Amino acid sequence: MFNRENKLEKFKDAETIIGASIKVKGNFHGQGNIVIEGMLEGSLKTDANIFIGEKARVIANVEAKDLVINGEIKGNIKVKGYLSLGGTAKINGDIQYGEISIEKGAAVNGQLTAVLDLGKKNDNREIEKDKEIEE
Amino acid sequence: MHVYIYDDYLNKSKYNKAVNRMEIRLTDLGLNGKIIRLGGIKNIKGTIQNEIKLGAKTIVAVGNNQTVNKIIGAIIDTDIYGDFQKKTLLGIIPIGDDNSIATSFGIKNEEDACNILLARRIEKIDLGLVGDHYFLNEANIGSLGTNIDLGDYSIEAEDKGIVRIINLLSDKVNNINSNPHDGLLDIVISPRKKSPTILKLSKFIITSITEQLLVDGVISVKTPVEVSVVRDRVSVIVGKDRSFQ
Repeated sequence: MFNRENKLEKFKDAETIIGASIKVKGNFHGQGNIVIEGMLEGSLKTDANIFIGEKARVIANVEAKDLVINGEIKGNIKVKGYLSLGGTAKINGDIQYGEISIEKGAAVNGQLTAVLDLGKKNDNREIEKDKEIEE
Repeated sequence: MHVYIYDDYLNKSKYNKAVNRMEIRLTDLGLNGKIIRLGGIKNIKGTIQNEIKLGAKTIVAVGNNQTVNKIIGAIIDTDIYGDFQKKTLLGIIPIGDDNSIATSFGIKNEEDACNILLARRIEKIDLGLVGDHYFLNEANIGSLGTNIDLGDYSIEAEDKGIVRIINLLSDKVNNINSNPHDGLLDIVISPRKKSPTILKLSKFIITSITEQLLVDGVISVKTPVEVSVVRDRVSVIVGKDRSFQ
C-alpha cells in the first residue's frame, strides 16, 4: 500500500518552500524540488518534484516529474512520473500522469489520462523538432 | 603591507585588553602594519583607497560587523584604481559583540584572527548588492506588505514577520546555511506563527509600503530597491572552520 510519509522524504531538502502566509503570482518555474503550503496563481513548473500541502491553494497549470497533492488545484496537471492524490486533494482540471495513487476522499473534476511514456514522447517530439530545424 | 582599520568604539577602556592582546600577537607574528583609527575620519572610503594606492595589499577591519561594512565599499570599488584594488584582500579581527561575519568566516576571537591572517587562506566571496550598497551577511525587512518582484512572478507575504535576504550566514537553529559561492541569495520569510518560506534568488526588486530595508544591520535603504548578487567580488582571508566550503 502507498505510504505517504515515505513520499514526503524526498522533500525534506527542498530548495524552494512557499510557506502558508505567502501569495505567489506569475510563472513560477524552478529546477529543484518545490513545496507549496501557501497560495499560487499563474503556472508552476519544475524538472523535479512538487509537494502541495493540505492548506495550499494553487490556481495554475502544474508540471513536474513527481507530484504529491494534498491541497487544492484549479488547472491542468502534467506529471511525467508519479502522481499522488492525498485524501484532502481537490482538483479542477485535466490530469496527465505516468503512475497514479488516489487516497480515499480525494476529489477530481476533470479527465484523467495515463501516459506511460510521457517523458519519452516529449523527448521524441524535441528530436523531431531539431531535425526539422536542421533540414 | 597590512593596514589595520580600528573602529571608533575600540577607544573604550573595556576593549583595551583585547586590543593590547591583538597587537602583541601581531608583533609576535611579524604582521605589523599601519593603523588607522576611524574616529575623526570623515572620508573613510577616500582614506582606505589612498592606502591601497600606496601599496596596501591587505586591509584588516578591527572591530565588528559594522566595521567590515564601513570599509567593504572602499575595498571593492574598482572605479578609481582598477587592478590595485582587485588584488586587495580583506582581513577581519573581531573584537567585542556583533561579529557574525567573522564567525561565518571561521574567525573566533582576536588571537585566532591573527593566526588566520598569517595563514592567508583566501576565498573569493559573493557580495549582496542593495541599490549601490554592498553587503556580506544579510539584509532584512518586515514581511507584512512586502513584495518581491522577479519579473516572471512576484511573492507577497500576508503575515507579520521578517524577510531575510542572506548572502553569508550559518544559522543552524533556523536551518539556514548559505553558500557565498553559488551566485544566489537565500530568501527566508519567517512569519511569527507559520512555517517559513525559503527561496534562492539572484536578482529581484523588493518593495515595502511601511518599512525600509536594513542592510547588514547598518544602513537603511528605502524601497522599492533592486537586490542582486555579485559573484566572487571580494577576496577574504578566512579560517578553516568557516561556515561554507
